[in-house]
Amino acid sequence: MSSLVRIGSVFRAGSQLLSRGPARVGFRKAGGGVHIEPQYRQAPQMTRNQKFHAEFLSSAMWFWILWHFWHNPDAVLGHFPWPDASQWTDEELGIPTDEEE
Amino acid sequence: MFIDQLPQMFLTCLSLTMVLLILPIILSMVTKPLNNWPLYVKNSVKMSFFTSLIPSIIYLNTNMQSCVIYYRWMLVSPIEINISLQFDQYSMIFMSIALYVTWSILEFAMYYMHTDILINRFFKYLLTFLISMMILVTANNMFQLFIGWEGVGIMSFLLIGWWYGRTDANMAAMQAVIYNRVGDIGLMLAMAWLLINMNSWDIQQLFIMTKNMDTTIPAMGLLLAAMGKSAQFGLHPWLPAAMEGPTPVSALLHSSTMVVAGIFLLIRLHPFLENNNKVLTAALCLGAITTFFTAACALTQNDIKKIVAFSTSSQLGLMMVAIGLNQPQLAFMHICTHAFFKAMMFLCSGSIIHSLNDEQDIRKMGGIHKIMPMTSTCLMIGSLALMGTPFLAGFFSKDAIIEALNTSHLNAWALMLTLIATSFTAVYSLRIIYFVSMSTTRMLPLSPVNENNPLIINPIKRLAWGSIIAGFILYNFILPNKTQMMTMPMSLKLTALIVSLLGLIIAFELALLTNKQIKIHPTKILHNFSNMLGFYPHTMHRLMSKLPLMFGQINATQTTDQSWTEMMGPKGIANLQLTLAQKITHMQKGLIKTYLSITMLSLLVITAMIIYF
Amino acid sequence: MAALRNRLFQTLLRKNVTGITSFLSSARAASGVSKSMLPGPYPKTPEERAAAAKKYNMRVEDYEPYPDDGMGYGDYPKLPDKSQQERDPWYLWDHPDLRRNWGEPMHWHFDMYIRNRVDTSPSPVPWNKMCMQLFGFIGVMLFMFWLGEKFPAYQPVAPKQYPYNNLYLERGGDPNKEPEEVKHYEI
Repeated sequence: MSSLVRIGSVFRAGSQLLSRGPARVGFRKAGGGVHIEPQYRQAPQMTRNQKFHAEFLSSAMWFWILWHFWHNPDAVLGHFPWPDASQWTDEELGIPTDEEE
Repeated sequence: MFIDQLPQMFLTCLSLTMVLLILPIILSMVTKPLNNWPLYVKNSVKMSFFTSLIPSIIYLNTNMQSCVIYYRWMLVSPIEINISLQFDQYSMIFMSIALYVTWSILEFAMYYMHTDILINRFFKYLLTFLISMMILVTANNMFQLFIGWEGVGIMSFLLIGWWYGRTDANMAAMQAVIYNRVGDIGLMLAMAWLLINMNSWDIQQLFIMTKNMDTTIPAMGLLLAAMGKSAQFGLHPWLPAAMEGPTPVSALLHSSTMVVAGIFLLIRLHPFLENNNKVLTAALCLGAITTFFTAACALTQNDIKKIVAFSTSSQLGLMMVAIGLNQPQLAFMHICTHAFFKAMMFLCSGSIIHSLNDEQDIRKMGGIHKIMPMTSTCLMIGSLALMGTPFLAGFFSKDAIIEALNTSHLNAWALMLTLIATSFTAVYSLRIIYFVSMSTTRMLPLSPVNENNPLIINPIKRLAWGSIIAGFILYNFILPNKTQMMTMPMSLKLTALIVSLLGLIIAFELALLTNKQIKIHPTKILHNFSNMLGFYPHTMHRLMSKLPLMFGQINATQTTDQSWTEMMGPKGIANLQLTLAQKITHMQKGLIKTYLSITMLSLLVITAMIIYF
Repeated sequence: MAALRNRLFQTLLRKNVTGITSFLSSARAASGVSKSMLPGPYPKTPEERAAAAKKYNMRVEDYEPYPDDGMGYGDYPKLPDKSQQERDPWYLWDHPDLRRNWGEPMHWHFDMYIRNRVDTSPSPVPWNKMCMQLFGFIGVMLFMFWLGEKFPAYQPVAPKQYPYNNLYLERGGDPNKEPEEVKHYEI
């Protein structure tokens, strides 16, 4: 009977541990930055600052690319159209037609 | 009033830039070590950067360039060597960029090396490294350039072998120094040729004097020098081996110092190559094979630093191609933009490596984006910039080089290789991202992951802004010396982009293929070739070290002894004496009449001579 | 360093030996090798072999001298041509960075086989295949470069053509003289 009780207490402790999720450890300032405890088999916590910067930088990059693409597509697609010689008519080139000769 | 003082301000700020850099070194020699020496070094580089911005801005606005002769250093009978600095377009822009990048790297090194007890010395080395590069960049005569060149070489040796307790690090340092020595022979050859034929080492004078001369010999020498320093094919293995050094060293080595020195030499001395088609073709082919070979090697590497190192090598090949195209300015642009994103990629990988308990294998990373969003974002920005994504830093130089390549009259195979290498760039860049940032984590269950240190975030962020914006700024401010080809068919204009996209698609396909294993034993010839770095180090290093060492050993310990101290020495003398003695004994056998007649004859001759003369 | 020097000085004083003689007693020219350090004569009988093997800290079965062909190897053991780099990095060597145990016989060419010189460790691909592929690669590249030089790639571009007789007046031609008509086309 006592062994069952012991098992029960183990289960209780385990369920508490599971329900608690990754251990919330307070941020501790050390060596200039936020200190994050290494966590066993859990994703480490992140600060909002770091998430924000990551999002901000990548969106800035995409903004930069798209904004320039919108305003200056020439740099990618070519500044001047390449003339297509087959489209030129005789008239434009000033070549007389064969009958006139 | 203000405009009148511009030149003074220009020169004062430039001199101040140099003084600010040298000051910490001098101080460390005179005074006790400061409390926070790394911080002090970092701040002096930072100040130096801000000071160097002033002349750069003046240059960009007024196109002011100058060449300052400080004093005559020595006068060796034919030549006069002055301490003179040249502040032209190249040196000024490069100085600002190198200082900016080094500032960030030093800041990162304060984090990365903070447990090292010799961190003060480390920073001193890094600073000396930077100063040597500055000397090289601003040099106005070959001698000064040589000092910078060798300074960079020796500092790289010391820094790569920083963890000298490890044989691998020593080996890498030795490789760097030995391969560079091979290149130095080329530089010495060029310098000797110039001294013999021109009686001068002043670069400006040399340009004028060699205008109508055949400069194939010095140009070939310079190409060899650049080949060694910039790790072109044949002398490349030291560059990936140099990854044994600490990550900040790799970052500095690969971005703004050392490896670009070779290309910079060719840019600086470009008038020697300009009209020499043979050398230009050699440079083009060398660059093409380098960019292809190293990109192919990067494809199958598993060490994150090795991949980044090979991508540097590949980009250096691309710069060499630009030199071969007779477009030094494009090569210079690529040096400048490359410095930003390559330094950043190294710092990111350094941060990741530290966070994962010094794990460098990309197969044991994964999912970094979820746990280190900042670092992985920057790694991705760096990779995108490297691939030449439009409007990021790499685009403006890489695309320009490929456009110039497409519109020139040149070796078809070189063009081919360069384009393939460009698509390889996309493949290995995606490979890094795929293995490091994406999917699930494969690292150790307990890893000290933390990127919330301003010493990590700030430099990486700064370089990230650089790699987004720098290309555009440089592109808008640097005026091209040569007319660029502006009109070209759409297909050629888009080649660089298409080729990169193609690489990206192939990489995606390959990544998908790994999900379902088709062949249990894949054909491994190509994989082995790529993974073992084209067998170059395996065959060459073994052969090249074994043959001379074997020869030397046997020579020194056996054959020399046997031939000189034995055969020529006691044995030889004994033999000689014996034969002589035997000959003489043969002669001395009852020939008394002969002896007497010979004596008489000689007496006669002597008396005759006495009488008649 | 100064402290070390002091201590050295003190020990010298304590020994009651002063001046240059104290150094001379321990000095020996590096050039000469004592006879005991040189290999002995080539072993001919099994007993001699056993003695030589013992001298070199080897088992008799492993001991194999160099052939006696007058090269002066004497009784020096012929060890397998394997580099130190090839040895197990995880074994607890007495001298870990040389990967070598104390008293172990050295290879005749030990200098050559230390860790940062010649490496003989087995490679996944055999030697001749590696050489073949590398030189094959270089050869193919050289051939293709030669071919590429024969058939270069270029965009066909004609010289620029300008109107008004190639900008005759604009280029400072004499307005009084009538220049000959420049025709850029052929019909």
